[in-house]
Amino acid sequence: MAGPANHLAFVCPRFAEGVTVGGAERLLRNLADRAACAGRRVSFLSTCARDHFTWRNELAPGTRRVGSLEVTFFPVDEGRDVETFLRLQDAISRGRPLSRSDQESWLRNSVNSTALCEHLRTHAAEYDRIIAGPYLFGLTYFASQILPHKTLLVPCLHDEPFAYQSVLGEMFRVVAGCMFNSEPERDLARRLHGIEPARCAVVGMGLDPFEADAEAFALRHALGAPYIVYCGRREPLKGTPLLLDYFAAFRARTGRELKLVLTGSGQFELPPDLEGHVLDVGVVSEQEKQQAMAGAVCFCHPSVNESFGIVILESWLARTPALVHGCGEVLRWQCGRSNGGLWFRNYPEFEEELALLLDNDALCDQLATAGRAYVLREYAWDAIDRKMSDALARLGRA
Amino acid sequence: MSTTPLEIGADGVDVQQVVAEIRKTVEAKREQGAYHDARIAVAERRNLMNVKDDEAFIDFFLECLRDAVFVDINDFEIRERRPILGGALKTFKKVIWGLLKFYTYRLWSQQNEINGLLMTAVESVDDKYGKRVAALERELAALRANPPSDRES
Repeated sequence: MAGPANHLAFVCPRFAEGVTVGGAERLLRNLADRAACAGRRVSFLSTCARDHFTWRNELAPGTRRVGSLEVTFFPVDEGRDVETFLRLQDAISRGRPLSRSDQESWLRNSVNSTALCEHLRTHAAEYDRIIAGPYLFGLTYFASQILPHKTLLVPCLHDEPFAYQSVLGEMFRVVAGCMFNSEPERDLARRLHGIEPARCAVVGMGLDPFEADAEAFALRHALGAPYIVYCGRREPLKGTPLLLDYFAAFRARTGRELKLVLTGSGQFELPPDLEGHVLDVGVVSEQEKQQAMAGAVCFCHPSVNESFGIVILESWLARTPALVHGCGEVLRWQCGRSNGGLWFRNYPEFEEELALLLDNDALCDQLATAGRAYVLREYAWDAIDRKMSDALARLGRA
Repeated sequence: MSTTPLEIGADGVDVQQVVAEIRKTVEAKREQGAYHDARIAVAERRNLMNVKDDEAFIDFFLECLRDAVFVDINDFEIRERRPILGGALKTFKKVIWGLLKFYTYRLWSQQNEINGLLMTAVESVDDKYGKRVAALERELAALRANPPSDRES
């Protein structure tokens, strides 16, 4: 029988604030905020890093109050062997099996914070539950070993080579339970690591509805042509190069005047023939992002590594349909369940679907309306709060 | 170039059905060769779907390469869309092309020769290793069906 969950510790390698963005970080921050608003005492334990490429200690260590949260920043361990980490990471990416000791070495040389883990050990009695995530960090792995009977994992799991490592499977099995973002993510975790249904809960994250001016973004940036949009990290794992290649091929083959708008962080290489046709506005305010979404023909999400897909839910709230990669199980599932978007497996399907959306305003409206209704129904905060309370009551013991 | 034949009404849209219709359209157009285009082969380099089905992708890639391998080095009609000074510009372009033709013709001829040789080499490597892999797979299947220990006993 689970004990009361009055004092929660959230553990996440980065704290979502200002330009520190990332779906998993945002999700954990939002869940922590909601738990605090519901009257629970919440301590958020994170590191002094802001940049997920360098992991430099940029923030001052110590505790400060951020809204309703008590956030403590701990330094990331210095002197990790980045060369070894990258060598092992590369081997995993290429599907090579790693020995147990190599897997441990990979996690030891990942992002860690000895100070944070020490804090958990010394304050063990204070916390009723520890909610840690995402799964792919040494910090999450080692933090989950300290008080496994109190730890709930928010893995944000993807079907990628890292997810198949046996040490991570042990982490999934040793903790008190897992809070997943979606049913496909839960099913993947069960398939890979054999977690019993009783230790699984699907929670996700709530979204507040908003209204955005659909013309403001295009006017402000003098776009002068219809555009598709992508918001989020720009990197190969998120499918950014694929999106650029598909967009270039679409323009070249169809001769249609179409722009691509990108928001978010990360560098990418712009092919020369796309000069003047891609607008990269970088990290922008929520309002700017929502307006960019609202004015787009569709939100194109080429990533296959998603456990939830916050941005496509936001695009539906902005009344914009989605066009996603069909190999991304979660995004395809969200589109199928909501009737809010289409999915492609290859370029020809992408071309046909994008052309269809460009030519058929009625279809776009229908998809967007269905998508918005779905988010308002499934991801209202009240519903998510209930799911999180159930999970906290059912999983783990104080 | 895309010519979307689908007409989808606004009411009661079912995305499963829309995607299924799109796939049918793509298949029909694929059979007509609408996607044998080097630009698609380039765009598909990084598609994860191809990694999962690399055999089909290599066939598709080679098909696109066959279509794109020879550069068109023939004369072409010189046009000028600008109305003002259009005639003069067209004459100017013709003169420039006349001057460059003898040089570019030789250059592209050599390029076509290299492209053709490379294409032949890639095809023969694909053919050779395809046959070798098929033979090995047959041998493996035979061994699985009749393991050595069974034969000995």
